[in-house]
Amino acid sequence: MRLSRRRLAVYCVAFLFAIVMNFAVPRMMPGSPVDSMIAQLGPRATPAAIEAIKARFGAIEQPIWRQFVDYVVGLAHFDLGVSVKYYPQTVVEVLGRSAGWTAFLVFTAIVFSLCVGVLLGAVSAWRRGGRFDSFVSPFSVVLIAVPPVIIALATLFTFGVTLRLLPVGYAYDPSLDPGLNFTFFSSVFLHAVMPVLTLSPYLIGEFQTTMRSSMISVLGEDYVTMGRAKGLSEAAVMFGYAARNAMLPVLTNLALMLGAVFGGSIVTEIVFNYPGLGLTLYTASVARDYPVIQGQLLLMTIATLGANLLVDIIYGVVDPRIREGRA
Amino acid sequence: MTAVEEMRFLRLAREAGKSRATAGRWRLGAVAAALMMVAATEARAESVLTMHIEEQTSWVQNFNPFDLGGRRQSTMDFVYEPLVIFNDYDGGKPVWRLATAYKFADDLKSITYTLRDGVKWSDGKPLTSADMKFTLEMMLKNPAVDTVGVGETVASVEAPSPTEVKINLKDVDTHFPESLADFPVVPEHIWKDVKDPLAFKNETPVGSGPMTEIRRFTPQVYEQCRNPNYWDAASLKVDCLKLPQISGNDQMLALLPEGSIDWFGSFLPQIDKTYVGLDAEHNGYWQPPAETVSFQMNLKSSNAGNAEAFNDMAFRRAFSLAMDRTAMVDIAGFGYPVVNTHASGLPPRFDSWRNKAAEGTQDEWMAYDIDKANKLLDDAGYKKDGDGFRTTPSGKPIAFPIIVPNGWTDWIDAVQIATEGLRKIGVNASVATPEYEQWQKQILDGTFEAVMNSRADGPTPFRGYFQSLSTAFGGRITSAPSRYSNPELDKVFDDYRRATTDEERKTLFDQVQVIVADNLPVVPVFNGPTWYQFSTKRFTGWVTKDEPVMNPEDHDNNRMRLVHLLRLKPVQ
Repeated sequence: MRLSRRRLAVYCVAFLFAIVMNFAVPRMMPGSPVDSMIAQLGPRATPAAIEAIKARFGAIEQPIWRQFVDYVVGLAHFDLGVSVKYYPQTVVEVLGRSAGWTAFLVFTAIVFSLCVGVLLGAVSAWRRGGRFDSFVSPFSVVLIAVPPVIIALATLFTFGVTLRLLPVGYAYDPSLDPGLNFTFFSSVFLHAVMPVLTLSPYLIGEFQTTMRSSMISVLGEDYVTMGRAKGLSEAAVMFGYAARNAMLPVLTNLALMLGAVFGGSIVTEIVFNYPGLGLTLYTASVARDYPVIQGQLLLMTIATLGANLLVDIIYGVVDPRIREGRA
Repeated sequence: MTAVEEMRFLRLAREAGKSRATAGRWRLGAVAAALMMVAATEARAESVLTMHIEEQTSWVQNFNPFDLGGRRQSTMDFVYEPLVIFNDYDGGKPVWRLATAYKFADDLKSITYTLRDGVKWSDGKPLTSADMKFTLEMMLKNPAVDTVGVGETVASVEAPSPTEVKINLKDVDTHFPESLADFPVVPEHIWKDVKDPLAFKNETPVGSGPMTEIRRFTPQVYEQCRNPNYWDAASLKVDCLKLPQISGNDQMLALLPEGSIDWFGSFLPQIDKTYVGLDAEHNGYWQPPAETVSFQMNLKSSNAGNAEAFNDMAFRRAFSLAMDRTAMVDIAGFGYPVVNTHASGLPPRFDSWRNKAAEGTQDEWMAYDIDKANKLLDDAGYKKDGDGFRTTPSGKPIAFPIIVPNGWTDWIDAVQIATEGLRKIGVNASVATPEYEQWQKQILDGTFEAVMNSRADGPTPFRGYFQSLSTAFGGRITSAPSRYSNPELDKVFDDYRRATTDEERKTLFDQVQVIVADNLPVVPVFNGPTWYQFSTKRFTGWVTKDEPVMNPEDHDNNRMRLVHLLRLKPVQ
């Protein structure tokens, strides 16, 4: 299996574009890291201290072209620079401690939603027009439309504050030390329930809708009719013959939605004080921490591009018809 | 292993020898693990005080007292004990800590501090005058770590004996000890090997305060425990401070029902319901008025019309008369602030300094009276032009935004109320909400027109007035946006800094109040609250409104929080 050159070129161009955008976007925001550092010092900062800070971090106020060259050279060495907000920690350290949590959150939400969404989509396509379908399908559209922030706040207020069933913050009970034991894992699980449930509705809605339409077209195929004619059970035809083939567009959709999931995780992490990339990005944006914002956006770009590439590859494996160079 | 690391290693090894539970550090590996087991067997009920001091999205292990923006806010006082604390709720009386006295030389050109005998650093080494001399000289050499401004006041430092530090001043300044209130003494034997004292994270600090041992540090919580060599150990009944990471007020509200936090200072809307109501038996708060919040006009504005108006006393008085202070407090501030109705703007906490002569007639400008304001402006020659807004007596247009940081919702509402009042008297004022950093930048570079701002008060009212209204500070710090310059007032400030007795200071500060009230350089509106909530479930001894002996806040701007901590006793 191999990808065409044209396809690889598209990825390269997208990557280069992302590098430039990562550099440009944070700098379009009003304010500068030095201003925000001085602001952090508060009203008690002495004039001498303000001057000294300016002199020390003046590097950030270099001409734009110079900053760009430094940025690209740094990237080539996998050096993302030093955080302004968490000085003297490096960007890699800052992102390192949060990337895992976001990956965990997003991955869990996707797997969960994929299972639920595909099942709902398959069943509603099988019984399209029925009572189940006429409830589930419009409801999916509603789920897609509701912004994560509303779901996050509603969940937090209901289950966290009012009923007090679930923890309202953190990735695990802060009094525990991470370790390979049941207490720790159950704590991580409990703390992930609300964030995952917040991220999932949108995904479930999307998966259900895609799966349903794809399934409907597959149901018209001859092999499905044949499966029925053979006298196979309903379940065997539905899942073994139809759903399996209808999954392909869902996979494509998944890669496209990854960006939206990351977006949703920003809001979710802020609301639930979940120590992931989203919360880090938010704090860094407020502090005008260019190096962290850049590193973060780059990471997300690579994740999204990587996922697309992966889907391209998987697609080729799953469906030989679209394997390039043969068609 | 660098020298610093080596020293830390030795210190840890020594601690481990004492078999304290705090000895668990990975670098010691198996030895520590074995010792931890020993420590665990001598289990005793520990009293752990849970606090919330600062809002962060992740804890970073930084206990460098010179890194104002990056240090954990439990660094001052709890790791680094102050020399002396001036209690602003007790007329600025000194509470002696590392120092036991200070004395000015007869010519007032130098001051000698006497350090407490027998104080030890948390690693057991003695704390001497050499440490204080080292710290001061490090600040002089490196302005980036000069957190208290000694670069402007101190000429040189001497250590005539192990307990005496003689500081030679550049100019006579009897106010100097107050300016040293936020000064941390650091151990020379650790810091002399630090190449860049601003970038040093000081992850396992060696300090002089009650809570120096960092037992546990994760991005979500850290615990800071008892200093094994604390000089005032007899007063200390709390074993550990526990600081969970909390990113904001909303999260605080969500956490409160758990009842796990003992001491905090958050903005809680409808506090009687959202906090006290959860556990009326234990939960309490006291939010006494703090710094005065004022409207400050840029007297050096580059806009000719605005500058003319701002520099005219009649305009400033009319401005003041257009302020609906009660609405600001009740509507914008949820009733938490207190209106300030004195033209001198003296904060209520400094009542013992109040000069009645500065009040009375001048306070009539502090009422909300639109008719009177309109008449004042009419008489002063501010005519309305076609669009209904007034111009200056020389015919220039007046139009200005009042800046307030984005997201400071209560302040934004207060400024909104102010502009409504100003528009009623024909003044074209509006609200602008730049980001906090931009807001501060505009104040410092002088590109703003008007701002609502508070000032940083010291233990006596002097610092607040001196820094916000003296020519020397104008525009150099955020507390001095108006760039006011009054030779008469500067003269009184200078005299105050030469005064040697409390009576003299009182008389001089009486004059300050009269001059400020007569000239109304800024328009005081209200005093924001102090943020302080507590729970008596696990600890008693809290400062309450029935016993208002000190500023009760646990925030980093309040040195008295150390004394407050020493009052606390665990519930048996």
